[in-house]
Amino acid sequence: MSGATEEAGSEILRVEGLTMRFGGLLAVDAVDFAVQRGSITALIGPNGAGKTTVFNCITGFYRPTGGRIRLRRADGSVAELQRLKDHSIARAGVARTFQNIRLFAGMTVLENLLIAQHLKLQKATGFGIGAMLGLSGYKAAEAEAIAKAVDWLRATNLLDRADDAAGALPYGAQRRLEIARAMCTGPALLCLDEPAAGLNPRESDDLAKLLAAIRDGTATASAPTSVLLIEHDMGIVMRISDQVVVLDHGRKIAEGPPATVRSDRHVIAAYLGEEEEA
Amino acid sequence: MTAPGKAGRLGAALLDAAKAMLVAFGLFVVMVGLRTDVSSSGALLLRTRWMDVALLCAAVFVLRLAMALWVRPRLPAAGSALLGTGLTRAGLLFGPALLAVALVLPFIPGIGRYELDLGILVLTYVMLGWGLNIVVGLAGLLDLGYVAFYAVGAYSYALLAQYFGLSFWICLPLAGILAAFWGVLLGFPVLRLRGDYLAIVTLAFGEIIRIVLLNWVSLTGGPNGISGIPRPTFFGLPFSMSGGPGTFAGFFGLEPSPSHRVIFLYYLILGLALLTNWVAIRIRRQPIGRAWEALREDEIACRALGINITNTKLTAFALGAMFAGFAGAFFATRQAFISPESFTFIESAIILAIVVLGGLGSQIGIAVAAIVMIGGFELFRDLDEYRMLVFGAAMVVIMVARPRGLVGSRAPSVLLGERRRIDASLVGEGRG
Amino acid sequence: MRQGPLRCQMLQNPLRSPTACVTVGTTVPPQKESALAYALQQLINGISLGMIYGLIAVGYTMVYGIIGMINFAHGDIFMVGAFVALIAITLLTSSDLMGGPAAIILVLAISMVFTALYGWTVERVAYRPLRGSFRLAPLISAIGMSIVLQNFVQVSQGARVKPLEPQVQGGIELMRDGNFVVQLSYMQMLIIGSTLAVLAVFTWLVTQTALGRAMRACEQDRRMASLLGINTDRTISLAFVIGASLAAVAGTLYLLRYGIADFFMGFIVGVKAFTAAVLGGIGSLPGAVLGGLLIGLIETFWSAYFSVQYKDVAAFSILVLTLIFLPTGLLGRQEVEKV
Repeated sequence: MSGATEEAGSEILRVEGLTMRFGGLLAVDAVDFAVQRGSITALIGPNGAGKTTVFNCITGFYRPTGGRIRLRRADGSVAELQRLKDHSIARAGVARTFQNIRLFAGMTVLENLLIAQHLKLQKATGFGIGAMLGLSGYKAAEAEAIAKAVDWLRATNLLDRADDAAGALPYGAQRRLEIARAMCTGPALLCLDEPAAGLNPRESDDLAKLLAAIRDGTATASAPTSVLLIEHDMGIVMRISDQVVVLDHGRKIAEGPPATVRSDRHVIAAYLGEEEEA
Repeated sequence: MTAPGKAGRLGAALLDAAKAMLVAFGLFVVMVGLRTDVSSSGALLLRTRWMDVALLCAAVFVLRLAMALWVRPRLPAAGSALLGTGLTRAGLLFGPALLAVALVLPFIPGIGRYELDLGILVLTYVMLGWGLNIVVGLAGLLDLGYVAFYAVGAYSYALLAQYFGLSFWICLPLAGILAAFWGVLLGFPVLRLRGDYLAIVTLAFGEIIRIVLLNWVSLTGGPNGISGIPRPTFFGLPFSMSGGPGTFAGFFGLEPSPSHRVIFLYYLILGLALLTNWVAIRIRRQPIGRAWEALREDEIACRALGINITNTKLTAFALGAMFAGFAGAFFATRQAFISPESFTFIESAIILAIVVLGGLGSQIGIAVAAIVMIGGFELFRDLDEYRMLVFGAAMVVIMVARPRGLVGSRAPSVLLGERRRIDASLVGEGRG
Repeated sequence: MRQGPLRCQMLQNPLRSPTACVTVGTTVPPQKESALAYALQQLINGISLGMIYGLIAVGYTMVYGIIGMINFAHGDIFMVGAFVALIAITLLTSSDLMGGPAAIILVLAISMVFTALYGWTVERVAYRPLRGSFRLAPLISAIGMSIVLQNFVQVSQGARVKPLEPQVQGGIELMRDGNFVVQLSYMQMLIIGSTLAVLAVFTWLVTQTALGRAMRACEQDRRMASLLGINTDRTISLAFVIGASLAAVAGTLYLLRYGIADFFMGFIVGVKAFTAAVLGGIGSLPGAVLGGLLIGLIETFWSAYFSVQYKDVAAFSILVLTLIFLPTGLLGRQEVEKV
């Protein structure tokens, strides 16, 4: 934990010259930005600005046409995310949520959180044989995983719903569960795709508190985690972000603390006429 | 209900039944009314059967009317859901009861050779159903060529025994391993395919394996199959009628009897089926089993959680194939004869039907479905050529009545507090 | 009665000999000096077989496009079509009306009408009640329906293979090379001609009429189509009716060309036609025809040059390879995964 604080302020994620082309369409054009360790960085922009594309490149769902995405983990090792695909991104330490919530709807809340700890648990099973025979090594690992899941359930106020099917939860609870699930993978960077979409004001408040707690490492016993989010709700973006990156038409048009960005004339021009909740 | 409403309903029902009769007439007038026969000279002759057409049409009219007037109004809307919970609850008692009956079946008075043979047959399908359930029910991968691995197991044992003289007990694990190996080999390139593509590719694999078995005459005997496959021994003691000291009867000092072997085969398949069940139940509570179910629910979310989708799918595919391989080896030793005819698509379809009718992922549901389908099929043996017709119709009717199968709700693999019901409508069905 | 060991595979039908498929596309063994002529003959044979597959494949692809299910009973609808045609031909022959193009057209029409009724009924009985439910349920129901159709025909028409005397004989000699004659038979002309005619009508129906628009709308987004006032139930029924009529044409032509019908003929032809639909890109109508042609050609050439026994293996292997390297088929729409 001390290692993380020492390096706090340094970059956890550096995006350089990120370009994504779909056929003839240039969706993202040489975007550079960084996410500081222990910060909440918001990626904003009008519809069609390329936010989701950038996001999908970082989380490995698209392979970028060009550019580099480097993740510097707490132990100093660097992962070149643009070279990784699919599940290896999550293994490198990037966890994500989805705009249109993707939970394992037919499985219980607790099961959802255990699947998030699959890698660790799978290692403890001894190629499935140890677990099959009920050896103690696996039992201990499972107990630990359940304890971690319970911590996150408490943090997201879902403890009493642990044995309900995830699909049976109300919308707001599903959003929180998805965040809890992403955190259970023990990520270095948490990426959230419109986490406040569809939430009522009180739920948005709770979300803001939860994200700040995740950033500061006070949500559970786990380490502080940097957060990157896409959000349309300017209220929440301006309130919780430490850094804001603004995209428009696939290019970065501004970057800085919320107050600076809010008064930036490019940003105002890009947003003219929309998104004036702030 | 008021009288005019009732009359109106009757009128509507009559009209509806008349329409159904008209359709039935169209369906049957050619196919039933005119029967083609091949004469001795090879030319085609026509025979008319208008009476049969009339009877069929009348039957459709009456049935349709009965459906509209009596059956449908009495079907409670929540009936099927109720049945589901009832069955799940009963399953707690029903499962052990069923197991107890299965364990003592050979010694129940009145159970003869025929009943035991039927029991062996049902258990074979129960085992295949439980094996396929790992692939379809848990991992959500639609496999229409499951019988291919059954064939691999059967032929592995037959060929290993024939060419190398290996005994059943050595071949059994080998057959499983070989089937699993084929599962990996075939699964690896195609498991990333989307749902129905995977279904058709697995069907194609099933057919390819069958055609190869059929045509590679020098190895497999082609359509004549392989006969004289060694019968199983009781861990080295053959079931022989001679009763000598080296035989099962002689060793245990029993009167030699042909039923010893049948009883042994019965316990063998019961043991194999229970092994499949045990592994499936245990593995559901393992990380890998949960990952399979997660894969069925949402593949993209799995990727985002760092789960290697291809490997996870492959393990499910290979494990399912392995159990089919075991069952195949058992089949070969029981029949002492195998040919490609035993491994056609219809077998895959029946096993899949058992899994779906039982309720995907439900062990007890699948056992009940296998008993109902295979046992029921046997029960109707006097129907002769109509039997398959009834069988197919039953598949349609059961599916229409209970699309989620007998047991639709899912049991969680791990609990923090007490169990709550997971409704079937929430459970995913997989894209694969 | 109640003794003797059960056959473990009791659900087998001993009559369904998997070896008893017709050997198609082979004529004369190749001779060195007439290699080109031989190849040309195979091309003609392959195209005419492929047309039949294409007609069936359209039915698969149309249903798949609209309701996203594999209509497993479609191959058996093809079989029913062949049987209706067989009965119609026998009936016409017995009243001395058979012979000449008018009779063939009449047979085609009879087969289309009655087979379409089967297609409609299958959808109504086995699929409509399951609309919008669990994805595997209609598949199992379809497999059940396929068993029902096969055994219904077995019971009503008997299990024996029905031979039909050649109805259309003769042909045009296209080319002579040594002692090898390349022939375009009248039967093949009939197959190609009627397939093209039927497909032309079908294309007009889909692209130019309100019905076709409704079908395409359902294919794009069924819920939206129904919100816009399209009667989706009726549209789906019509897709089944059209698919079954095309299969009836295929069944009739198949019967006329190969001169046999049996209740199990629909399975392997159905699987290959579905393979054709997937090969062409499922959901794509031109793709289905293209896929059918390719499967027909592959099968014919494979039988002509390699081995007849493994012709189905060749067709299936092509399917597997296509899917591995071209997962959406030849003309299928690329599906972008939305996250």
